[in-house]
Amino acid sequence: MKSGLRNAAITVALMAALGGGIFYSATDKRATDQVQATAALADKRQAQIVNITGLIALDVEPYFKDARVIKVLEDNNFRVNVTRVGSREMASKIAKDAAPDFFMPSGVVAGNQIADAAKKAGYTTANYSPFYTPMVIASWVPIAKILTANKIAQPSTGAGGKDNTYEVDLGKLTEVMLAKKRWRDLPNSSGYDVGRSVLISTTDVRKSNSAAMYLALTSYVLNGSEVVASKEKAQKIGLQVADLFQRQGYQESYVNGNFDDYVGIGMGKTPLAFIYENQLVTYALSRKTIDKEMVLMYPKPTIFNKVMVVTLREPAKKFADLISTDATLQAIAVEYGFRTNAADALVEASAKAGLSIKPRVVDVIDPPSYETMAEMIEIITQQMKN
Amino acid sequence: MKNALIKKSLSDIGRRAAYLLAGAALIALAACSKETPSKPDTASKATPTVEAGSLTILATSDLRDVEDLAAQVKAATGVQITFKFGGTFESTDLVQNGKAGTDAAWFANAKYLLSDPAGQARVRQQEKIMLSPLVIGLNTSSAKKLKWDNGAKVSWADVKNAAKNGQLRYAMSNPASSNQGFMAVMGVAAAVAGKSEALAAGDVNREAVREFLAGYKLVGDNSTYLAQKFKERQGEDINAFINYESWLLSMNAKGDLKEPLTLIYPHEGVATADYPLMLLNEAKLENYRKVVDYLKTDAAQNWLAEKTLRRPITPDAAKKNAGLFPANQLLIELPFSTNRGVADSLIDAYLNEFRVPIASTFVLDVSGSMNDGDRIGKLKSSLKALAGQDNSITGRFARLNSREKIWFLPFSYTPGTPTGFTIPVAGKLEEKNATFAAIGEYLTGLKAEGGTALYDATLVAVRNMAAERELHPENAYSVVVFTDGKRTQGINMDAFVQGYNAVFAGQKAAKKIPVFLVLYAEGEAGALQQIADLSGGKVFDARNQPLSVVFKDIRSYQ
Repeated sequence: MKSGLRNAAITVALMAALGGGIFYSATDKRATDQVQATAALADKRQAQIVNITGLIALDVEPYFKDARVIKVLEDNNFRVNVTRVGSREMASKIAKDAAPDFFMPSGVVAGNQIADAAKKAGYTTANYSPFYTPMVIASWVPIAKILTANKIAQPSTGAGGKDNTYEVDLGKLTEVMLAKKRWRDLPNSSGYDVGRSVLISTTDVRKSNSAAMYLALTSYVLNGSEVVASKEKAQKIGLQVADLFQRQGYQESYVNGNFDDYVGIGMGKTPLAFIYENQLVTYALSRKTIDKEMVLMYPKPTIFNKVMVVTLREPAKKFADLISTDATLQAIAVEYGFRTNAADALVEASAKAGLSIKPRVVDVIDPPSYETMAEMIEIITQQMKN
Repeated sequence: MKNALIKKSLSDIGRRAAYLLAGAALIALAACSKETPSKPDTASKATPTVEAGSLTILATSDLRDVEDLAAQVKAATGVQITFKFGGTFESTDLVQNGKAGTDAAWFANAKYLLSDPAGQARVRQQEKIMLSPLVIGLNTSSAKKLKWDNGAKVSWADVKNAAKNGQLRYAMSNPASSNQGFMAVMGVAAAVAGKSEALAAGDVNREAVREFLAGYKLVGDNSTYLAQKFKERQGEDINAFINYESWLLSMNAKGDLKEPLTLIYPHEGVATADYPLMLLNEAKLENYRKVVDYLKTDAAQNWLAEKTLRRPITPDAAKKNAGLFPANQLLIELPFSTNRGVADSLIDAYLNEFRVPIASTFVLDVSGSMNDGDRIGKLKSSLKALAGQDNSITGRFARLNSREKIWFLPFSYTPGTPTGFTIPVAGKLEEKNATFAAIGEYLTGLKAEGGTALYDATLVAVRNMAAERELHPENAYSVVVFTDGKRTQGINMDAFVQGYNAVFAGQKAAKKIPVFLVLYAEGEAGALQQIADLSGGKVFDARNQPLSVVFKDIRSYQ
């Protein structure tokens, strides 16, 4: 819809300008001159404009389609042509003599994988991280209360200095999940005394990045609060974590699937949804209100999903610098729910829409190397076939 | 969500274009005349029609009630959507094998399709459009008797036990060919297994599934047919209907039931249809996005809620339409096993072990006209397929199953003699193959010549089945009639009706043996329909689709 409408709009605009020009030239000389002057200016700019191409992740596609982003980039003489590709497919798009100017994957793991592949193909790369979003658990007040009563979660400071978010002890929660506890088995679970297992729902780890972030996080917890670094550990822990994916049953494989279930179907299907913080933030910002029962829980520890820019050619570096530093471009990223160096604006805007987010997220871990991640994902994939 | 932001920026672009256009219009008008300039609004309204397009959709048949939305979609987006309808498993088969032939697919539930990598690979994008949980609609009086009314907590084990004890006698679409029946069986298996998570093969409590299916009294493939039969037999031998909430609420709303249905939502959880609209043809991405975006607007979501009683997927519309649905129901979702082996073995067990075995007589027209265009050859090969090894998803479900009895009754001038075969019980593969071979041999031997004693033959078959039922009441009896022309010989319609009624004199409607008729070549639609109406059967049109497809269809009603 987006590009179609835009094309249509541009076509209409062009036709209008042309049509207007013709009528004008016959009647009003001064206006004709004006039109010509504008055209000349446009020509001049056209000559300076640098065209660069990039492969981008779904998360940032709306950002690049934002008319204001396009304008700021053009004002800085960039015309950026982007195509959406899954973050994990990006590394395979690099050939010795054919590659885009930059990649914009979701997550450091994919970023490193791309940089490595690019170096092997003879490119000089640079990495940037213009914005990021923490991984969170979207949940519901009754659920948060049960977890609090069981000392798995505790209220935590959110917007306005109030205790209106939660912090979840991921170690304890993982223990409960692996012990196959049902909600109704937990003490004080009258708000949700159902027979379902306590499980965090995710997307399909074989397909999607947010589930991989979940894997990174749970593997850290199960590895005695250390990032998994060896093949042996990866295999052992991969087997344990596989259980947390397999027992969910059918999982959506597209990026928004899990989040859509959270907002569309609700607590009955998705009591705990592992999502990007910016998914719920943009949802709240666009609607200006959210369900009173919706609440964000921040796993402790947590992990950031960094939007990376990996540049392969010189002009793209300037572009990457620009989106990392330009105040307007950074501010627009905030509108899409991303965090930048200035989180206050995001906290305030979300609070106005009824969603409290944590001003500062601490206790953040790094994901394992992509080889280790690949190893664990492979183990899980094998398990899920059984 | 992000979408909304995109829309915002989009409408900015749209507006800008509109202003430019309006500006141009102004200038043009100023140059030519002094009339009032047109407003920006009218200009922007014109933009969607600039790029018209189409989107063809393969939809499951329960979505027929959404067809009317096409006009609104067209008006709002410029995209003309056209539907092609099919059964769930038939459609799954088509999509999985890349034979859908449409730009998109819209299923009540695509979990079976998407739990297979081959199916997943066909789907480019998907988005859920609306929701409807699969629930049990029970006669209000029965609900009272069972103390299942007033929001009582009813478990799947209660449901299963009531079915076993004969207190729950339900209509449901065939688990082997349709999503509703399939999800219900999966639900019982999951809930009764006491599993809090997705089932593995070892978890299936076969006895529980068997007990639940003991209450399965009215079989069919599409909900319209079942609703018709349900109305006739409600309170007689049937007291419940298992289907989507939307369907049951609609039946209640029409007000033509003998008594309204109380909706039971088993408290361990339900399986919810989430109606994903799936893009198959990448080239139609733009049109697909337009349609999806429109379907998620308030206007479309409200329409779907009001007209079809499906729950909106967007929270705002859900809030607005909450009054249409039973209140205070926290719908717990049963996890769906991704293990296709579990699903397939359940369906297989249903067909070969759990279900009431089918016993039917196939009345076959072997009059001379069957030699035209090798009709007889086509008939033979499609019947042989039932007794063969068609391993497609639908083929597995359509072929003759263990414990099933089948008679063939060929006719021309006069009815021939019924020749019967019994398919051995599950597990006896060699015997089964030998029986299939014998059926193949029998069919090969059929020759076409002579006239068309249609009604005599049909009546002989009905009598044959009625007599068999006296001896073996445990089977589900039916007659399948295949003819390519008008009756030319033997008794007329009036005599047939008299004869048929005489067989079932003094018996309840439910006791009638249904006659399913295949309309082929020069077959007489009106006469066949009359027999279907009389007997509670159905006419299947084989004039525009392959015979093999029609025979597969019929299997879902037996």
